[in-house]
Amino acid sequence: MAPDKSTEKKSAGMEFFENVYRSIFRYGRIPQDGEGASYAVFNNLFLHIHPVKVSRHSLKFTYTFGLGVIATSLFLILTFTGVWLMFYYYPSATEAYGRMLDLRSSVDFGFVLRNVHKWAAEAMVFFVVLHMARVFLTGAYKPPREFNWVIGVILLLLTLGLSFTGYLLPWDQLAFWAITVGTSIAGYAPVIGEPLRQFLLGSDSVGQEALIRFYVLHVVILPGLLYVFLAVHFWRIRKDGGLSHPSENEPQDVAEKGAEL
Amino acid sequence: MKEVDTTQVYPQDPNKTYGLMELVRGTKPTVGPAPEDMVYSWPHLLIRELVIFLTVAACLLVAAFLFNAPLEELANPNHPPNPAKAPWYFLGLQELVSYSAFVGGVVVPGLLVVALILVPYIDRKKVGVGIWFARERWLANGTFLAFLILMCILIIVGMYFRGPNWGFVVPWE
Amino acid sequence: MKKENLRMQQPEMDRRQFHSRLGWLGVAASGAIAAAGNLLYLKPAVDYGPPTRIRVGRPEEYKEGLKEIYENERIVVVCEKDGFAAISVKCTHLGCTVRTSDSGFECPCHGSQFDNDGFVTGGPAPAPLNWYQISLTPNGELEVDKSVVVPSGTYFKV
Ligand code: FES
Repeated sequence: MAPDKSTEKKSAGMEFFENVYRSIFRYGRIPQDGEGASYAVFNNLFLHIHPVKVSRHSLKFTYTFGLGVIATSLFLILTFTGVWLMFYYYPSATEAYGRMLDLRSSVDFGFVLRNVHKWAAEAMVFFVVLHMARVFLTGAYKPPREFNWVIGVILLLLTLGLSFTGYLLPWDQLAFWAITVGTSIAGYAPVIGEPLRQFLLGSDSVGQEALIRFYVLHVVILPGLLYVFLAVHFWRIRKDGGLSHPSENEPQDVAEKGAEL
Repeated sequence: MKEVDTTQVYPQDPNKTYGLMELVRGTKPTVGPAPEDMVYSWPHLLIRELVIFLTVAACLLVAAFLFNAPLEELANPNHPPNPAKAPWYFLGLQELVSYSAFVGGVVVPGLLVVALILVPYIDRKKVGVGIWFARERWLANGTFLAFLILMCILIIVGMYFRGPNWGFVVPWE
Repeated sequence: MKKENLRMQQPEMDRRQFHSRLGWLGVAASGAIAAAGNLLYLKPAVDYGPPTRIRVGRPEEYKEGLKEIYENERIVVVCEKDGFAAISVKCTHLGCTVRTSDSGFECPCHGSQFDNDGFVTGGPAPAPLNWYQISLTPNGELEVDKSVVVPSGTYFKV
């Protein structure tokens, strides 16, 4: 336990405040030393996805370019703006488009939320792909991180799915025809193609049924799955020994021998 | 008396106590990087994450005020826009689909996903880890980059070089 | 002592294993059944879309060589000297709506072309446009049934 260094007398009010604060944050204010820094991280639900210590190499900006953190930030922002948009959105073929117009012109800051959501969604696809490129080009998928790479691929697919399902919701020309074309492509897959198309559209063509199905997928199912896989993804970073590090490489002669065997 | 090698892998810190914690089986004589390579997550990592998050949020806000998200007319099942384009990240596939729906829409993306999933189980040699464009990995990196660039080219063609009836157009004319 | 020895023997363990396997099999089976039920639930059973049978007017209203487009139903009714035909305007490539052109139909999405009978003459479309069944209702109206596809070239004679 971190010792309370202050010896001065406190007023009752201050003490009450102090007690409440201590009940929430057990180990003082801003950590002053290594012990405090350790407690700050592993006693906090949100921070404990991090290890207490990380290697200097993994902090180098030119190693990761912060791409994973950027993608995660975008997803958090998308969740926030998405929930906010749900207050006005109505998944009906006759209502949805009007709500878009209202968001744009009548609702205070409606256009900001819609625009942030839209641009964050586009950016998320972009940065997830960049993050994947970073991991590949630095050879960071090699053992013991194979499975985390696979989870990464799943996360990429979920991101694309989220973006695609969100595309239909404004119910404008762009949305309607992009989804018509996209779901028809799915229909070409052997065996599962046609059932998959039916499952997505709930009917033979894009209409009210498709809108409600895409809505459920977009606001509940896919984000839920993405959060679960994201949690596993983060957890595995720690369990697999942090970010990849050049010191993991086998010495050249050993590696060559391994290749011969 | 024999000469004893007294050079230490990690110099002893007088402020710490040392004890044998664990025996490890391994092929290497040392046990990875020196602990001194490590820094505390608080504040070194957290402050970086916070800075990135705030930068992202700020950029999005600026973009939101500068550029409106597109919104076309109300959906009309009778009049497809000419040409009807998929979201930009699917334009590469749409370009392939315009040659053959089955190859472009099912075979190519299917194989790409399977290949991506299998990558770490095929390429397991621990060389070039943690290094950008490691020379030993030229083949893997080259293949990956080739696919990425190909995809980008297809997307750019789909975005700017496709006009009415999916015919080839030149954007600056 | 003897009893205990017996218990330690192989068959006793096998019995255990057997029951354990049986248990797991039950769990897996009920999981599979539940999954199948959930999938079936999601399969669209009720069609809330537009009706599949469309009345398209009396035969007398058509002149030979006329192509009458029904936009919302996404069909075109053609009157030839062989009779009537109802051709879908839904592109067989990826479902865009085709428009009539000089030589038949063309699709704006990826440039598929079709002749007057809906056969593919160019572009990525893999199949000709659908022909739907036409019949005459008792009160003398033409009725197209979009749920029945007939071979291309089957004209309906009044
Ligand atoms: S949808 Fe008609 S050519 Fe692709």
